Amino acid sequence: MITEFGNFFLSISATLSLCMFSIIFLKKTVDVDLRYILCKNLSFIVLFFVFLSFSFLVYAFLTNDFSLRYVANNSNISLESFYKFSAVWGAHEGSILLWVFILSLWSACIPLFSGKIPKRILIDMISIMGILLLFFLVFILFSSNPFDRIFPIPINGRDLNPLLQDPGLIIHPPLLYIGYVGTSVPFVFAVAVLIDGHIETTWISWLRKWVISSWVFLTIGISLGSWWAYHELGWGGWWFWDPVENASFMPWLAITALLHSLIVSEKRGIFISWSILLSILTFSLSLLGTFLVRSGILVSVHAFANDPERGLYILIFLTLIIGSSLVLYFSRSSKLIFYKKYSISSKEFILLINNLFLTITTFAILLGTLYPLITSSLDIGKISVGAPYFNFIFSALMLPVVFLMAPAVYSNWSKTNYNSLSKKLGKFLFYSLMIAYICMNFFFKSEIFIVYLGVSLALFTIISSGAKIFQVFGSTFEKNYFKKIILIPSSIIANSLAHIGIGVLIIGVTISTYYSSQKEIIMVKGTEVIIQDTKVKFIDVKGKLSSNYTSQVGIFDAYKNDKYVISFFPEKRTYNIQKNIMTEAAIDSSLTRDIYIALGEKINDDSWVVRIYYKPFIQLLWYGVGLMILGGFFGIFSRNKYIDKITNNEI
Amino acid sequence: MIKITSKNKKTIAKVLVFFFAIASFSSLLIYALSKNMVYFYTPTQIYEKKAPLNSHIRVGGMVKVDSFIKSKDSLKVYFKIHDLEKEIDITYEGILPDLFSEGQGVVMSGKLSKNGTFVASEVLAKHDENYMPPEVADMMKEKNGAPYKK
Repeated sequence: MITEFGNFFLSISATLSLCMFSIIFLKKTVDVDLRYILCKNLSFIVLFFVFLSFSFLVYAFLTNDFSLRYVANNSNISLESFYKFSAVWGAHEGSILLWVFILSLWSACIPLFSGKIPKRILIDMISIMGILLLFFLVFILFSSNPFDRIFPIPINGRDLNPLLQDPGLIIHPPLLYIGYVGTSVPFVFAVAVLIDGHIETTWISWLRKWVISSWVFLTIGISLGSWWAYHELGWGGWWFWDPVENASFMPWLAITALLHSLIVSEKRGIFISWSILLSILTFSLSLLGTFLVRSGILVSVHAFANDPERGLYILIFLTLIIGSSLVLYFSRSSKLIFYKKYSISSKEFILLINNLFLTITTFAILLGTLYPLITSSLDIGKISVGAPYFNFIFSALMLPVVFLMAPAVYSNWSKTNYNSLSKKLGKFLFYSLMIAYICMNFFFKSEIFIVYLGVSLALFTIISSGAKIFQVFGSTFEKNYFKKIILIPSSIIANSLAHIGIGVLIIGVTISTYYSSQKEIIMVKGTEVIIQDTKVKFIDVKGKLSSNYTSQVGIFDAYKNDKYVISFFPEKRTYNIQKNIMTEAAIDSSLTRDIYIALGEKINDDSWVVRIYYKPFIQLLWYGVGLMILGGFFGIFSRNKYIDKITNNEI
Repeated sequence: MIKITSKNKKTIAKVLVFFFAIASFSSLLIYALSKNMVYFYTPTQIYEKKAPLNSHIRVGGMVKVDSFIKSKDSLKVYFKIHDLEKEIDITYEGILPDLFSEGQGVVMSGKLSKNGTFVASEVLAKHDENYMPPEVADMMKEKNGAPYKK
């Protein structure tokens, strides 16, 4: 029965989405209020039905209903129940359903948090959401239906891909998708505004909250994925410039640019047309990402069995959406341009440069990702673009962006005196260069120019952003310290935290990249190996049985200065059903270093190939990301502009 | 005749800066791209000496059954890969991905040495037993006339 209901609800949702979309054509005939009520309720009902069919799929997984092909392919009776739950989005069909579910969630949120946006705009926004929903629902129903039957019904399922059996993977896809799909809100806003031909700055501050929310989730999603790769792939890396990673990173860069250009649009009323274009591009990049991941045309670690036909469908939709919205943009956007002048010495100019660099970086990554596709379709040759390209291009283009963070925070709108600015920041720059130099010599007794450059730039950002908070803190007239803290505008806390986070992240990345040690050796039981300041002793390997895998567990003890520190239990698992072998690394983390041990292959009863990494300060990477996310939350819940204005004037 | 007024000067300066910026960005991009493009070769192409020596390339094929030899005291391994026509020798030092086995499709990056042996620096890990690297799948399709199945 489940399948029938699942299919039925999906078809209803598709029909209702079509209704939602068609409201856009009723502009002249039906009253605004009535149309708004229609749109609003339709968006709730669609959400309800999509949610129902999603929960039917969840139910099918939890009750081991192997009559569904999708469940049979991705689950198993002995699979632990929380993995059964996450198996819902473990493969293509379910993850597209999750995508639609989140899309309907976002579209239902638009009328719920409508702010001061006039109804005519909201109606257009929801209607355009309708066409997006319709497309994905049709896509599910005709080419990737998770409710498809299988006959004969297998007694047991083929199990979830062992690689996905990890706690990080339970929440990674939903969070990433929330962020990914969240870019649809600025997109539909952009299209609605273009149709309307009118925009106000209060709308932009409303939109900014949506963009920040989507940015926060995208950041969490990407970092979880990266964290998972670090723990699960067993190679000690956390970012591979894999096409699928790039697919999520490009929208992130674009939405970061959008976030900053919206600040300028809100405060100064300029770059509006640019913000609109960026909104369209960001969503297009999200769609492109979906296409790249789902079509499987790119070589990637994420390339599970894929179907090119599905890719074609998404590609057609992608072209239609991007094409029509760009046509709309180029024919209508001139109405939205306010001819205001801005000078080179102003905050808006610095933010313009930031946007320029972020956009170019996005383009460079896009080029590197698609280049192999272009050459192979033109028959020039089979080419892959290596990680060095991305590393080089990305760090080169990010240098100015990071450097400009401090000036951007300290400069004023419309007119800034660069002399006094450079005096103040010169001081900070000097401090950060000194601290970087001292620390590098103290910790590593050596300095690599790139690391020195990266660390001092990061410190420059951290010090100046931190000082900004103190400056605002000191500038209020309130005597009570608690009230003083409360009075700091959360927008300032938000951007300081996010920028400090970037700084901390850069320190972690550069130091761990350049000062890591790695050993791949054959170890006999009872022998020791020294890696940097730690001695690792190989004790034994023992067998272990679990419900759906058997594993070999290594036992290692670590000593520092001949004192016992901790034991490691890396595993080599063989999953019963798919017979996959998986490496589970054992990691001991502390602020100053991670020790990472993974079992390689067995040589004989006494000796194993072992891989050991020593990664200094890699934890800073995750702390930095955490700070950025925290900053994002402050941004979402930032208080009204009234307080911002007061403090800005005082400064 | 265009007069060079201060306003024109500013415009010219802007245009120059713009072009300079575009030129430097695109040269940076092209430089980075050309330095890091890695070409893919099939065993037949390597056998026919179409691949360059000592430059970073990628090679793919099926691991030949019964060709895998492992050194006893180091992580060195030797094996052969083939594309149904020709086969080439591979050496690699390091830990192989979990899913590496004889008869499987594999893609490696590394350098070709003078004696025709490919010295792999990286053997790409794939995470699905049914997954065939697209390059290898295409190559097999061309040789076989039909999609290759294990």
